[in-house]
Amino acid sequence: MLAYLGTATICLTLFFSLSQFFFSRKSSQIKLVNFSVNAQLLFSLFAFIFLIYAYIVSDFSVKNVFQNSHSTKPLIYKISAVWGNHEGSMLLWILVLTLFNYFIFKFYNSKNSKLILKTLEIQSLIIFGFVLFSLLTSNPFEKILPVPENGLGFNPILQDPALAIHPPLLYIGYVGFSAAFSISVATLSLDKNFEVDWFKYMKPFVVIAWTFLTIGIAFGSLWAYYELGWGGWWFWDPVENASFMPWLLGTALLHSLIIVEKRKSLQSWVLLLSILTFLLSVIGTFLVRSGILTSVHTFALDPTRGIYILTLVTLLAVYSLILFSLNSKKFLNESYFVFFSREGSILLNNVIMLIVCATVFLGTIYPLIIEALTNNKISVGEPYFNSTVIPIMIPALLVMGIGPILSWGKTNKFEMLKKIFPVMVAALVLTIIFLYIFKSYKPAGILGLFLAFWIIFNNILPLIKLPEKKLISMHLAHIGIGLIILGITGSSVWQEEKILKMKFNDEIIVKKHTIILEKISEIKAINYVALRGNFLVFDGNKKLVTKLEPENRFYPVTNNFTTEASIHVNLFRDLYIVLGEGNLDDGWTVRIYFNPLVIWIWIGALIVFIGGITLTAINIKKIKN
Amino acid sequence: MRKIFFILPITLFLVLGIFFYLLVIDRNPSEIPTALMNKNVPKFEVDELFDNKKFVSINEFGNEIVLVNFFASWCKPCRDEHAFIENFSKKDGIRVIGVNYKDKSSSAIAWLNEVGNPYSNVVLDKKGKLAIDWGVYGIPETFIIDSNGVIKYRHVGPITEKVYKKINIIIKNNK
Repeated sequence: MLAYLGTATICLTLFFSLSQFFFSRKSSQIKLVNFSVNAQLLFSLFAFIFLIYAYIVSDFSVKNVFQNSHSTKPLIYKISAVWGNHEGSMLLWILVLTLFNYFIFKFYNSKNSKLILKTLEIQSLIIFGFVLFSLLTSNPFEKILPVPENGLGFNPILQDPALAIHPPLLYIGYVGFSAAFSISVATLSLDKNFEVDWFKYMKPFVVIAWTFLTIGIAFGSLWAYYELGWGGWWFWDPVENASFMPWLLGTALLHSLIIVEKRKSLQSWVLLLSILTFLLSVIGTFLVRSGILTSVHTFALDPTRGIYILTLVTLLAVYSLILFSLNSKKFLNESYFVFFSREGSILLNNVIMLIVCATVFLGTIYPLIIEALTNNKISVGEPYFNSTVIPIMIPALLVMGIGPILSWGKTNKFEMLKKIFPVMVAALVLTIIFLYIFKSYKPAGILGLFLAFWIIFNNILPLIKLPEKKLISMHLAHIGIGLIILGITGSSVWQEEKILKMKFNDEIIVKKHTIILEKISEIKAINYVALRGNFLVFDGNKKLVTKLEPENRFYPVTNNFTTEASIHVNLFRDLYIVLGEGNLDDGWTVRIYFNPLVIWIWIGALIVFIGGITLTAINIKKIKN
Repeated sequence: MRKIFFILPITLFLVLGIFFYLLVIDRNPSEIPTALMNKNVPKFEVDELFDNKKFVSINEFGNEIVLVNFFASWCKPCRDEHAFIENFSKKDGIRVIGVNYKDKSSSAIAWLNEVGNPYSNVVLDKKGKLAIDWGVYGIPETFIIDSNGVIKYRHVGPITEKVYKKINIIIKNNK
């Protein structure tokens, strides 16, 4: 029953996306457009709630529930299992699409009706494409007969709070760019004569998408950090790259939109960038879901899905890019920038983000190219990405510190120097203090610390000195990025790793901390059994700092082993212990990581998030006025 | 110069799109090439499930074409492919060696009693060590070993009608 209702609501969503398409072509039908917009949101929400309900009551007659859930699973993970698999996550994707569709309509008024209606027309096509995809190849409400007694469980490493909210955040990011895409295509297909500032409408969507993409990526990497048990938080995995690439383009887009707003130039560039950002979001999904690139995020692989998404993205791309090549000349205007100005710095940021994005893209698909040409399997890993991306990013970070305090147009260089000189000194002093604490003088560390403090100080000073209200969010976001750089530098340059065999009461000293394996105990929980190591951690003065209890879990339902790292966190460092295999006689393999400053990555991301949210609020207000 | 800016995006995308298309139609994620392809089977000595004896690989491979099938009683897709495994051994007369992966012996015996036992030998891999040597991703997984003891093909996931036919063709070509 539930399954039929679910399929029916998806079909209704499909129907109303079509009706939105037809009605938005005529400005006289605004009431029907309004109805279609609301109906899509409502029905996709119903479909989503039905699926959640099926998971909560463990309705195993629904194949999707059977494959991804189990009656013994904790309630919260039953719910998050809804989007922890391909079909359910597509449904969430559709829900977010219809939600953004709804917000686009909210901006409708008599002055901008042409633009908004055209945008809704494009958006309805995107919704139609994805709903059809879901119905044809990945219907989450497919039935299974005979009804199985219990489900096949759900990958236990995905049973985690950070991962439960990671996909929704990420999807708001990816899908949010669909609104920017639609606005861009709508703008390109309308006459230039209509007098509406299209970029004003695009900006809040870009800001919100970028903000959520940022926090979504941060949660994903937080999860990888404590769940995968390798002491790292970024692995240049294809799925990570698939989210990082739209983030880079989104960053460029966000910044160039500011120039369009201020100077009305760069319009055709922004139109292209917004198209590319969304296309790249979909291509990333395609690469991962089609099984072309395999990664730790294994979704069910099915080549027909790949072909469908590829067809969809090709249609979107061909339509939008041809439109761009024909019509964007109208938006071109000749204006030259002074390099040493705020717009100059933003332009440089754009170029760098684009290069980094191309570099990451190349590294991600390079194995595919090599395989197609030579039949050899190779894998491009961290060394490639670290040695290409980081050097390219350095100038961007230097500019990032100074950009926000440059003025539009021409900047007085002498005044500028007077402003940045104290910041430079402060950043240098703090860098030296940190180097003294770490007692290590690696060039990468010096550079990373300096850049981080450079960005942070440059943006904190204007915040302290009576800030311009509308710039607060920008400074916040930049400070957040500075803190992220601080965390990245600390944890990658000064990480220490110790792998050893430990028996009971063995001691090991890691960075002045004495770590003792006290005992190993057996734990029985609802859906797993575990071996738990009890470690005592003492500081240099022999005072007990904490007890760490890493686990080695076994989930009988899926026959999976997972490692649960145990981490002691403070503002200066993480102490990270993983329990490996072993026995009483030989001892247990133990991996211990000392990760300096890593917490600042997540704090930074949170500050960026706050900055982004306040900026969105400001931008929405701007439109309303 | 300016024209390029307008036409470049669509051109680049089309090249990329065609490349991806060729990849998708040409590629089956189940056919992950194995590092062991065209190499001799790994050497191993393990216990058998039914007879109380050791299975010594060097005595068993290299005489005829053999299928090696990794399975377990807890693995749902193994049940799905079971009819095809039976076909291989009973209809096509091919020797199939089963590797019982991370399973309880009692449940494996009960399972084989229930669904039928198509295997000439069932060897035990309780800790999954054998699976590591063979580079097994996840079960079920099936390998074709030719009469020289060389791995000729590897399939990840349950055997379907299509895969069944394909394996039969490969076996014919290697006879």
